[in-house]
Amino acid sequence: MAEAMAESYNRDSEPTTRTLLRRVLDTADTRTPRRRRSARVRRLSSPTKMNVRRRSHRARSIGRLAHVHTSGNLEEQTPRTLLKNILLTAPESSVMMPESVVKPVPTPQVVQSSRRESSRGSLELQLPELEPPTTLALGLLAPGRRKQRQRLSVFQQGMDQGLPLSQEPRGNGSASSLTSSLNLTFATPLQPQSVQRPGLARRPPTRRAVDVGAFLQDLRDTSLALASPGDSLRTPVATLPTDTVLEDTQPFSQPLIGRSPSVYHSLPCLSHTEAEDAERAVSHRIQSSGPRLQNHNPGKPTQLLAGKAKKVDALAVSFPNNSSAVSGEDGVEPLQDGVGEEAEERMEESLSVSKVMATTGTQGSVRMEKSKGHREMTEAAEAKEPEGSSGASPELASSTTEFLQARQPQFLEPAPPPSTAVLSSEPLEPLSTRLPPRARTPGPRARTPGPRPRQDPHKTGLSHYVKLFSFYAKMPMEKAALEMVEKCLFYPNPFGSLDKYFQHLCDDLEVFAAHAGRKTVRPEDLELLMRRQGLVNDQVSLHVLVERHLPLEYRQLLIPCAFSGNSVFPAQ
Amino acid sequence: MAFSTTVSQRKHIKRKAPRGFLKHVFKRQKPHLRLETSGDLLVHLNCLLFVRRLAEESRMNAFESKCGVIKKEHVQAAAKVILKKSRG
Repeated sequence: MAEAMAESYNRDSEPTTRTLLRRVLDTADTRTPRRRRSARVRRLSSPTKMNVRRRSHRARSIGRLAHVHTSGNLEEQTPRTLLKNILLTAPESSVMMPESVVKPVPTPQVVQSSRRESSRGSLELQLPELEPPTTLALGLLAPGRRKQRQRLSVFQQGMDQGLPLSQEPRGNGSASSLTSSLNLTFATPLQPQSVQRPGLARRPPTRRAVDVGAFLQDLRDTSLALASPGDSLRTPVATLPTDTVLEDTQPFSQPLIGRSPSVYHSLPCLSHTEAEDAERAVSHRIQSSGPRLQNHNPGKPTQLLAGKAKKVDALAVSFPNNSSAVSGEDGVEPLQDGVGEEAEERMEESLSVSKVMATTGTQGSVRMEKSKGHREMTEAAEAKEPEGSSGASPELASSTTEFLQARQPQFLEPAPPPSTAVLSSEPLEPLSTRLPPRARTPGPRARTPGPRPRQDPHKTGLSHYVKLFSFYAKMPMEKAALEMVEKCLFYPNPFGSLDKYFQHLCDDLEVFAAHAGRKTVRPEDLELLMRRQGLVNDQVSLHVLVERHLPLEYRQLLIPCAFSGNSVFPAQ
Repeated sequence: MAFSTTVSQRKHIKRKAPRGFLKHVFKRQKPHLRLETSGDLLVHLNCLLFVRRLAEESRMNAFESKCGVIKKEHVQAAAKVILKKSRG
């Protein structure tokens, strides 16, 4: 024992991970005097003998049983592998951490403190306290994937034991408590990490070489932060399912005021950084005035709006009140003066109304700026449809309420640009992808009120698919390109007999229905069409496509499903 | 108990299909034909897939021409290919 202590003191001067590990192994096994260099040979023989004897004593320290496995080539093995062996072989050791990274420091810490107290006795004292966690650890010898889930329950139990213990500072003579708490603490940091990043939950965390100093620092930090990970564990998990659902891009959202709550709800669904930023920004900016808001994010909106200077003037006329109010309050400076003047004029008209919109707009705008990538299509859709409805009234100064309702979803979108309400949703898109359709809507509106009812729902329907195109493309697009898409969707090609998509579609459906002797086009005709197009084949059935691309409500209407009472819906 | 054919007012469908638009288009093209209720949902599905293919094709064209932006020519070339494909 004295030799072991001497040996361990010898190694104090070399605080490498390997030496620390050796200390663990040495102090645990006091019978075999070891020299660092000659340890190799003797370990081979001695541990086996000792192992048999020691297995009977469950109260032995952790590293002992590891001798059997680690003894062979201690010099060649890394501390990580050593500890892994320790963890795997020792039934009473807590196997909470798959990474041996955790182990080197706490066990040497334990060892060091125990040595000060007269190692043997203190070690044995520690062991009973370790037993409860080790019994839990028994269940953790399961493969790595289950370890993450079990670690949570173990952590909870360990929390109850470890919390009162972990409060004590290190070197207080409560090395055992430290060990148990340390053992448990080290379980926790990984768990929140993996849970906070759901995409990496199943991946084993990457392993780096152990830096003892940094590790000790982390040790201190995590031991202090024991309470917080337990709570934060819940929330990331809760947001996990919503993440996938609501982060899903929404190209088409209802242009209703009721949209605003969903916008609020979608906040937590953003990625953590985004959500935090957005929430922080919202909380800050709700109080802040508009100009400050605008100045915070001058970069994005200015860049986006720079290219739309021409369109701004044209469109600015058509959108009074709200746009002007918000724009006027917001930083006019970043935008061009001409636009700002118009905005100011309009601002005077309805200041009160605009203030309401401004607050909602700023809130929404801040939020949306953060979720730019997700919101692209939503804002596009929202801006589109209100524009279509607002375009219905040729007069610019039509009822404020109508415009309010039309604009509110728009203002929920990011940074209301100074010049126009339309641009409130535009900043989100990398380019003025929606300008061409929007440019067109003022056109027919201006000409005659007659074709208006025919064109506007038509335009909105078409623009629906055009927006989808820009969403699927995932790349910035030219306005001309979008016009091209619209042309190829619907308008017949004037240069040839090349009819466009919808016309093709209708012709084919007619042929199929006629072939079946029907005058009604039925879903079977559609399936046949898709089969001929190559979308549906033997590998991919129509139901699969429906599942993939259509929302649940439509899927329920399309795919027959059995219900209770021996009923199938939709009926066949 | 079967589901109702209509969606309750509180339900908010993401990515709604412009069913009215599709029915209107079909009626204009083929006034002598009728389109079934679920048929227009499948038409919407077809449109989605068409637009998706178009977008991917034009994206590939843009990549090939080493452009960061999708241009009219890319879309035009893509449209030719995809329209040919979807002729059936």
